[in-house]
Amino acid sequence: MKQYQLSTGEKKFVGSHLLVAILALAVGSLFGPLQAFEHAGWDIYPYIKPLIKSYYQGLTVHGVLNALVWTTFFIMGFLTFNVMFGLKRPLKNMTLNKVGFWLMVVGVVTAAIPILLNQATVLFTFYPPLKANWAFYVGLTLVVVGSWVEGWGLFATYLGWRKENPNERTPFIAFASILTSLLWQICTVGIAVEILTMLLPWSLGLIEGVDPQLARTYFWFTGHPLVYFWLLPAYISWYAMLPKQAGEGKMFSDTLARLSFWIFLVLSTPLGFHHQYVDPGVPPVWKFIHSMLTFGVFFPSMMTAFTVVASLEYAGRKQGGKGALAWIGKLKWSDPSVSAQLLAGILFFFGGIGGLANASYNVNLVLHNTAFIPGHFHLTVATGVTLSFMGISYWLLPYLTGKKLWMPKVAVAQSWIWFVGMIIFSNSLHVLGLLGAPRRVPLGLAPYVPAEWNSRLFQVGVGGAILFVSGACYLAVMLMTALSKEKVAEEVEVPIAEPMQDPALSPIWLDRWAPWIYGTLALVVVVYGPQLFELIKNMALTSPGFKVW
Amino acid sequence: MAKKDKGDEDFRPTGTIAVLAIFVITLIAIWATIYMILVGRGGTL
Amino acid sequence: MSTQQMHIDPYERNWMIFSGILLVLFAVAVSVAAFGMGIQVPAPEQRVDPRTVATDPSSPWSNPGLREVSPGKYDAYVLAHAVPNWEFLPKELSVPVGSSVSFYVTSSDVQHGFKIQDTNVNFMVIPGQVSKLTVTFDKPGTYNYICTEYCGSGHGVMYGSITVTP
Repeated sequence: MKQYQLSTGEKKFVGSHLLVAILALAVGSLFGPLQAFEHAGWDIYPYIKPLIKSYYQGLTVHGVLNALVWTTFFIMGFLTFNVMFGLKRPLKNMTLNKVGFWLMVVGVVTAAIPILLNQATVLFTFYPPLKANWAFYVGLTLVVVGSWVEGWGLFATYLGWRKENPNERTPFIAFASILTSLLWQICTVGIAVEILTMLLPWSLGLIEGVDPQLARTYFWFTGHPLVYFWLLPAYISWYAMLPKQAGEGKMFSDTLARLSFWIFLVLSTPLGFHHQYVDPGVPPVWKFIHSMLTFGVFFPSMMTAFTVVASLEYAGRKQGGKGALAWIGKLKWSDPSVSAQLLAGILFFFGGIGGLANASYNVNLVLHNTAFIPGHFHLTVATGVTLSFMGISYWLLPYLTGKKLWMPKVAVAQSWIWFVGMIIFSNSLHVLGLLGAPRRVPLGLAPYVPAEWNSRLFQVGVGGAILFVSGACYLAVMLMTALSKEKVAEEVEVPIAEPMQDPALSPIWLDRWAPWIYGTLALVVVVYGPQLFELIKNMALTSPGFKVW
Repeated sequence: MAKKDKGDEDFRPTGTIAVLAIFVITLIAIWATIYMILVGRGGTL
Repeated sequence: MSTQQMHIDPYERNWMIFSGILLVLFAVAVSVAAFGMGIQVPAPEQRVDPRTVATDPSSPWSNPGLREVSPGKYDAYVLAHAVPNWEFLPKELSVPVGSSVSFYVTSSDVQHGFKIQDTNVNFMVIPGQVSKLTVTFDKPGTYNYICTEYCGSGHGVMYGSITVTP
């Protein structure tokens, strides 16, 4: 049975997302090694002063391009692909989606200019009263609004499908992609309010001061669900594509996969205070409630762990695997898309453990703003998500371009090099954090570094160097594939793992949106409303801006 | 459409239990280590 | 016509039950530490005006440092700033071993962090807000307090130290 084919124009549109994403990753990743080497005692920043004035300007570029641009563009491209391919139809209004895409591109350029001119060295969290040039805030707003517009285009496409197919279950990859986009639209209200009501008017001189505690609260309203916006697309691939690629596997439980996504929708947003456990302006009772909800949101990841591993086990045994663990060796490790995502999953386990520790209310006192935090997020967004996205691009780019993947053996090696480099890099940061080392500090130059930290600081540099090699391999494979003259012999097959049970047999409430959306909004109002009301009622716009870099 | 293969009914995810057991033991060990650091550093009230 | 049932593999069902119990146990452990051992996170303490907190003579942060509340019990008022220089004021403190010190920290400019090494004192310092946590120094030695939130170029050199005398 031939698969549904995207048109050339549609493939180009998805591909343009990947292009921007990979360009962002290429530039953003240049600063990773500089930071890592700095920690190890080799400070290269003085040599690049004409271009980049400080460690912190580099760190801003690294964070904004990697954590915000690489991710958002890749995700919107992948979700758009999933909606078209999953629903077997073109976008309802391609022009609308293109408008969204171009808004995002204009936004990136608008924010990039002040960043590169050292007028927005505020890191990707841009906490006021650090005050960036107004164009930085405009740029970020355009990226977010552009992603909303693309999302509306996806919703319209889905509603069109639903009208024509009132009784069918939404195909999983389309369902999960629509949900992810919806989650994103709900949670970005936080930073939209922060930027539009405070930071933008402030940077334009229309208001004299801001309330930093309130600004933080708006930011982290979005900041936690942001990580699910990053993670769920990787989960879509792990659930619905990877098992097929790894050994002709199936999706172990379509029902529980859908249920886990619904729980993510409901629980991703109403727990942002777990990033504010040690903020002075939020009462402990709300912090505690959010911490309990955070334990709750760990639950669908536990479900995901089971379903994904079981789906992979099915594939491994189908390929002849025996024994409790030996079946793992029978998975198709020679496929670069598989090796990348399996290794991403393994390291993501550890990222999840660190995340649970961070989220455990007072346990956060040990970890907050220490090096444990970048250790943690390099396992989650920089490996679980990023390495998975690299793995997805290893089949998606050939699919979109019709070109053969350049040197698959290099691509496989790339994932292993990332894996080894990340273990060294991230493990040292975790340990440094437990020893008390702070984050966001050029530790190679800090005066309070005890001898105890030195070996780990050196390892950060070693890990960073290895990651740099892997990043270069990835970019080489992508570039050479795009430039290749070698076409694939036949259409690249989009890997889709069939569910083991017919989705039509699962309860209807797993395919109805209204109750889940109402539940999500109600919970957010209950656990955020009162404290937001307090903070807004007692808002004190007393902080003027500072440019302290 | 889900196509059932022969043997689908018989598939028991025992290897999954093995993998997750390793995960859970690691999770508890690391979490408990950090918790003990917290407790060792004393009260804040 | 809802005879549709959730088909859940028994192994997966058991895993989900186990996960739920595990998460509850973590919640219990956290609650014991918080409510039983007094290891709590910061609570709203006071609002101040960051524009005058360092200069207004009636503000304790205009004269930062230790105040002995009773024998062995101190309040420490610490001011964090990036302007004109990245520092905590005072830069040094000294207390005898066994002292309980409550730290009240605020900022006159941007956000900072305040973390006393080898203790559970670790919090954000936000202009307009006062952050408070208490620590009992059971062991003599030198304890650095460092800034843990990006506050500009000098973030990495911003620290002070407490000497706990035997």
